This record gives sequence, C-alpha cells and structure tokens, in this order.
Amino acid sequence: MAVFESTEKMYEVLGSLFKKLMADPEMGVKYRESKIIICFNITEPAGQIWLTDQGEVICGKADLKATIEMDLSGDSCHLFWLKELSLPIALAKRKIKARGPMPKVLKLLPMLKPAYEAYPEIAKAHGILKG
Amino acid sequence: MSYTELNMDLTREQKTMKEETHRFSKEVLRPASLELDKLHDPEDVIKSPLFWDTMKKGYELGYHTVFIPDTWGGLGLDPLEVHIVLEELGWGSADFAIGLGVACFPAFFASMVPNERLIEDIIKPFGRNTDASIIGCWGITEPEHGTDTLVPGTPEFSDPKIRGQVSARLDGDEWVIEGQKSAWVSNGTISTHSLVYLNIDPSMGMKGGGICIVPHNLPGVRKGRPLDKMGQRALNQGEIFFDKVRVPKDYMLVDQESYEAMLDVTLATANAGMGAIFTGVARAAYEEALNYSKTRIQGGKPLFEHQLIKHKLFNMFMKVEAARALSRSAIVYNLNNTPPLTRYSIASKVFCTNTAFEVASDAVQIFGGIGVSKEYPVEKFFRDARAAMIEDGANDSLMITGAHSL
Repeated sequence: MAVFESTEKMYEVLGSLFKKLMADPEMGVKYRESKIIICFNITEPAGQIWLTDQGEVICGKADLKATIEMDLSGDSCHLFWLKELSLPIALAKRKIKARGPMPKVLKLLPMLKPAYEAYPEIAKAHGILKG
Repeated sequence: MSYTELNMDLTREQKTMKEETHRFSKEVLRPASLELDKLHDPEDVIKSPLFWDTMKKGYELGYHTVFIPDTWGGLGLDPLEVHIVLEELGWGSADFAIGLGVACFPAFFASMVPNERLIEDIIKPFGRNTDASIIGCWGITEPEHGTDTLVPGTPEFSDPKIRGQVSARLDGDEWVIEGQKSAWVSNGTISTHSLVYLNIDPSMGMKGGGICIVPHNLPGVRKGRPLDKMGQRALNQGEIFFDKVRVPKDYMLVDQESYEAMLDVTLATANAGMGAIFTGVARAAYEEALNYSKTRIQGGKPLFEHQLIKHKLFNMFMKVEAARALSRSAIVYNLNNTPPLTRYSIASKVFCTNTAFEVASDAVQIFGGIGVSKEYPVEKFFRDARAAMIEDGANDSLMITGAHSL
C-alpha cells in the first residue's frame, strides 16, 4: 500500500515540507537566488509539485518551464526525505529519474538539508510515520 | 577559430566563453604541450616549471571545475557549455584538457553525495583552489583490469570470477584500502586525491564495488614513476599503491548497492568528455592541414588546388563536423538526464577518437615528409589521438558494452 493514501494527502504533507524549506531563512534565499524551477512528477499517487524560482510551492499542474524535472513515486519521495533512500541508490534502482543540467541538480543537494531535518516531524504530524 | 557555429542559439556569454577558452588554448595550452612533448623523460615533464605554470593558469581560470556547480566555486557550466569548453581545450592540447578535466573527479563525485565532511574536506577546498595544489585523479584502471572494469549492465559485470584488485574492508569508522592501480591513471603521480573504484564484496564480481576518495597524504599511499608513452606526453599518468590505507568512513561515496549505477554515470560522463576533447583534436589537425595546403606549393600550385587534396580535406571537414554534432548531442543529453543513456557517450568517444586519429593521419599525409617531423604539430595530434583509442576504455571493447544495451 502506498504511503500517501491520496494525491490530496501527498500535497498536504509534501506541500508543508516544501513551504517550510522555502521559508528557511538561509536555504529559502539560496533557492530563490539559484533561479531554478523544479517539477516533481509523482506517481502512486499521481501528482505534480512545483517549486518556482520565486519560492512558491504549487501542488498540481502549472504552466511553467521546469529547469529540473524529477520523476519518482510517492513512496520514493517519502523514503528520500527520511534519508532512507540515497540519491545514488535511487538512481541505481531507477527509482528517481532526473532531467535538467547536472550542475544544477548537484547545486540543489546542499539546499535540501532543512527539508531532511523537518520531514520526520511533518510525516509524524500527518500520521504517515509512527514513533 | 575557423569553424562556423551551426548552433544559432548560442548566447553572447557562450560565444565569449568559446573565444576566451580558444585564446587560452592557443596562447597557453598548445605551446606548452608542444614544448613538453619534446622532453624525453616524463619525470622531467612534471619537474618542469612550464608544466606547473600551465596547470596553474588553467586553475586560475577555473578550467579544473567545468563539472563543479558554482555553489562550490565551480564554473557551473550547463552541458552545452561543458562541450564548448572541452572542445576548445582539446583543440589546444588533449594532454592538458584531460589533466584539467579529471582533476575534479573526487570533488565532482563528492558533490553528488555532499555530506558535511565531504563539503569541508574535499569539495570546497577544490573549488577554491587556484594554484593547482589540489589535483584529483580517477583511479580505476588496474594491472589486470582495463576496459573490463567498464562494463556495467553486462553479465560479465556480475561474474564473481572477475573482480578488482583494490579492495576495501570496513574496520570501525574507517575503510582499509589495499591494492594497486596501474600506470594509466591520469594525473596519477601528481595527484593529491584519488577517486578510487575498488572492490568491497568479491562474491558479486565487479558489481560488488565501491567508490572512495583517498587523500594521498594518508599513510600507506605510494606512487610509481610517470608512464613513458607515445602520445599525450604532458598528461601525467602513473601507478598508485595502497598499503592498508585507512580512510574515514564518510569518504566512501558509493558502496556495492549503487556501484553499477554510479559507474554507468562515470562512464557516460567521461566518455562524453572524451568525445568533446577529441572533436577538438580532430579540428586542430584539420585546420593545420587546410592552412598548410593553401601555402605549400607542389607541382607549380598550392596543394589545395590539387583535386585529390581538396577531396581529402573535405572528407576531413565532414568528419570533424559529424564528430561535433554527435559529441555535443551526447554530452547535452547525458548531462541533462540521470540515469544517462551511456551508449550515446560511448558512441561519441569511439567515433570522435577514431575521427581524430583518421583526420590526424590524413593531415600527416597532406603535409608529406615534413608531416612526420617535429616541425609541425600534426604528428603530435596523430600520436595523441592514437592513445585516445585505448584511453578511457579501448574502443573495440567499449563498442561491445554499448551494443549490449541496443
């Protein structure tokens, strides 16, 4: 059974996560300065989440041109933010596919730290992680 | 710069980048590599102030960071720009283009899995380095293994009878590294850090590998003599020995769970880079031959006016343009897509190095007797290109690996 029971639930959980990331005083600013637009194309449940170059989080379709697109499942998202799925392993097992200039993808990685730190609590608060 | 840019979408910044890199390549890399090529002993190359001045100039301009994001002090180039820069560097000197390109391997791969320690110890210092005092190398080739290490996705890769000669064993918070990398490690004897491809679980064959950064100031690291070889003589290559070297646990970037995928990414990146560099070598040989053919008089007229020479030159021109088209497409696709389509990088490497060899050979032929002398650079291009048909994977074997995914 998928971690996220519905697209709405996924938007609720991951939406909160990304909003927290964008509000981070250091990483939020760095993200906006990078001028990168990311689109997560998620399956099981199906959905799209956008992080715009203005620091907005859009859950659902948007008429934007993504700098980087990531294709992955809802479960992979969940494990990735719990740090239970590393990027090399995700790539090895074809659980994440990335499209976009590699230097920009690499540039993103250090900006994700606040999201890793925040996700367990957010997941617990939404009842998808016990403990 | 004598080729017409067929990409009409290049920005002003990209055009400037191309011109600046070409100028550096023409004024610094080409003269230095020709001068260093004359030295009989490769040990003298790395003792030469000219070698180090050239490396330092490359570092000052950031050419050692073409694959590093600007977050870490790299040039932060997009994939098309990576191709443009590598072709221009290759035009001037395949030797220095490869040396500068591979220097970033430890920091580049660390930036894919950036933990705090790697950021502070490896990535940031490399990005900030401007005096060539931090030099990386790609430690994969071994005395008993060459291209057979580069076969991800094939049945041989999982054959337990075929395994690497450098091993890693976890002991507490450290990895213990033991074994030898062979004399074809680029930057081998001048490097300060290796990105070592090694064996963790022999029962899995080559698939049981890992990728680890080994700083060379750790006890137990020893280097051999620089390799004396036919081409690319300004590219230092040499053995590295690891005698129970204890490396912090965090420096193991990838273990056996994802080794095959990361090797695939490595091969896709390195082969795509070689395609771009040797497009530059092919172009250099073609331009030399074209220019010479317009000034050298034979049979009462310039060589260029002879129909056979014209025909040969146009053949060379077509090959160079085809090499650029393929190598650009491969690098742009594979540096924009993860996982990559490695067969396109292999096709680029094989096609462009073969092209460089054929075009350089034709250039020597057009020059005639003087072409085999040291008076003109075409004989060096020929030797450099020949070496590249084996370097980074022998072309014949790479083609079999590429064919496996067709």
